[in-house]
Amino acid sequence: MGENAALLRRELRELVKTHVPDGFLGAFTDDPADLETAQRFCRVLAERGLLCLSWPKEFGGGGASIWEQTVVREEMWAYHEPRGAQYMGVNWVGPTLMRYGTPEQQRKHLPLIARGEVIWCQGFSEPEAGSDLASLRTAARRDGAGWRISGQKIWTSYATMAQWCFLLARTSKGEKKQHGLTIFLVPMDDAAIQVRPIRAMLGPHHLNEVFFDDLKVTEADVLGQVDNGWSIVRDVLSFERVGIARYARCERLLAAAPSVLGERWDELPAELRGRWARMLTHCRRARLLAYRVVSLQSTGRIKPADAAGYRIAVTKLDQDSAEVLMEITAALPRINTAALPRGDTATDYFRAEVEDHWRYSQASTVASGSIEMQRILLSRAMLAAS
Amino acid sequence: MILDLSAEANEYGREALRAFEAAGGDQLVQRAEAKPDTRETLVGTILAGLGAWELDARTDTEAAEAAAALCRSAGYWALPYPVAERLARPTDLEVDGLIVIAATVPEGTIAGLENDWATVTLDGDRSRVVGRLAIGRAFEAALQLQAVDGNGAKDVALGLVLPCWTLLGMLDRAMKLTTEHVRLRKQFGQPLSAFQGVQFQLTDAEVERSGLEMLAKYALWSVGTASSDALHDALALRLAAIEAAETVFRVCHQLHGAIGFCDETTLSWLSRYSQPLRRLPLGLSATRDELTRRLGWRGLTGLFS
Repeated sequence: MGENAALLRRELRELVKTHVPDGFLGAFTDDPADLETAQRFCRVLAERGLLCLSWPKEFGGGGASIWEQTVVREEMWAYHEPRGAQYMGVNWVGPTLMRYGTPEQQRKHLPLIARGEVIWCQGFSEPEAGSDLASLRTAARRDGAGWRISGQKIWTSYATMAQWCFLLARTSKGEKKQHGLTIFLVPMDDAAIQVRPIRAMLGPHHLNEVFFDDLKVTEADVLGQVDNGWSIVRDVLSFERVGIARYARCERLLAAAPSVLGERWDELPAELRGRWARMLTHCRRARLLAYRVVSLQSTGRIKPADAAGYRIAVTKLDQDSAEVLMEITAALPRINTAALPRGDTATDYFRAEVEDHWRYSQASTVASGSIEMQRILLSRAMLAAS
Repeated sequence: MILDLSAEANEYGREALRAFEAAGGDQLVQRAEAKPDTRETLVGTILAGLGAWELDARTDTEAAEAAAALCRSAGYWALPYPVAERLARPTDLEVDGLIVIAATVPEGTIAGLENDWATVTLDGDRSRVVGRLAIGRAFEAALQLQAVDGNGAKDVALGLVLPCWTLLGMLDRAMKLTTEHVRLRKQFGQPLSAFQGVQFQLTDAEVERSGLEMLAKYALWSVGTASSDALHDALALRLAAIEAAETVFRVCHQLHGAIGFCDETTLSWLSRYSQPLRRLPLGLSATRDELTRRLGWRGLTGLFS
């Protein structure tokens, strides 16, 4: 990655150390201070031009290489994503707007994302349209010069705090169900939108239901061509699937385990330490597969199946490493779990981090395209090529 | 690190694939199994023709990449010859090749070959092979050794990495054969490839294979840059290679069905000749134990260590 990347990595670690308080486990806890931390941290990154590092300068970015952006992804995810939900704006909302947005849409939205001042949510999944996304029922019908949208989305992360929604709705019935879909850029403060949080093991703000009741939008809120939203969705998913460097958090926690356990480390069963070493190997494997995808992206040679193989590897790593880490932390003395997530010691914090990692990892083979969808994409490519 | 071999190394690998095919392809291993003492004449001459013995994989990174590509091509055809071991030969001993051995049970796949061989343990103890006794069904031989010195630590990593490239080539071929098979073979009126259960098994195997490919490139780079982590990286690669081979061959056998066990299919040959690469010098558990012991508290070098 080069010397620039190494310097950037050091700078980001210093910023995390300075601006993210001890005990931070992400922005979306019940403690509002965590969200404030993330918002403050985004401003810090934005002031230094680090929030949208690889965006073109004309859109408020730093014009850096995709490899430097990869470093940002790794460092942020490793330390519980102190950008909060901003990673979505940076990773896929912004790049998609650059590709498909009108100049007005770009002027309106991109500077806000680049300054870390806006949170987006993704209105894709519905109760009857999960992996089979194109079966969605949320409908937009013509109303004079604009549209009226009604329907329900579900599993919508960060919807309670988002100002904008990247919404996929059906605008007509085409020959195939992938036809006749359109992307709308929708303000979340409209009275026609209702958000209902879903309490879940992932954390209090991750999952929500969103209801659209005759929401009025204008033609200017349509992204790309009417009825041609599926091609945008495919791009979004390919940006999104390599957007989170899950391997980085796995690796940081695994690497920290021996020193956190101290002399207890050598007392662990040899078989468990062997699984730890194996997980470190799998972290490296996932990281290298990610770099291959990034390399293909940077040269424009990326195909959906390229990211799929990486996604299968990294989501399995997420879950496997979480199990190993949970077993390792069982060797630590028990603490008062009511004190979580902010324990008083490094040991308490590590235990809380691992527990959080385990909870979140359970969703990794479901979120952003289930592992089954990744297998379908990869097998299609393999069988077509043979 | 490298994410791809150089264009020249890849072209060299393709040239080797063509040369092995022209010399008999899948027939080579079958002929060698019938007459192990013909291995040198059967294969050694092809390798010499490819300029294999001029490759200096130790000091020249371009040559190391070419050596890796050659090993991969050899694996693709289950070439009945210890190419990786020949290419890993030390420069300071008058020998033709180097075999990394387990200290307690020294073995190598050199039955039927008359070359001069050295061995090295993972701790760097080197010996000369002064006697050999064929003991296995894939050219394995028990080795009788004469100690040389303890200066072989620098030889071990390359000696572990190159055979993993051979194994990678075997997995490439097994996957290719299996994807072709499931497209052709019909059951219940449709190709096996139409069944999602079949598709998903294929993808799990492919993730293992492609992950191994990336680790193989990483470890080759680590050895080529004389990294102090080279042995750790080589052991990590070996661990991943053995795991990948287990998954890939299990899936490939399952999807071939009974025909995959028959000697009329190449998979049967690939599968059984992958065994020495997976068991020597250390199998899965012993490789993991060795890696874990050497890592101690430090872990693999990466983003956070």
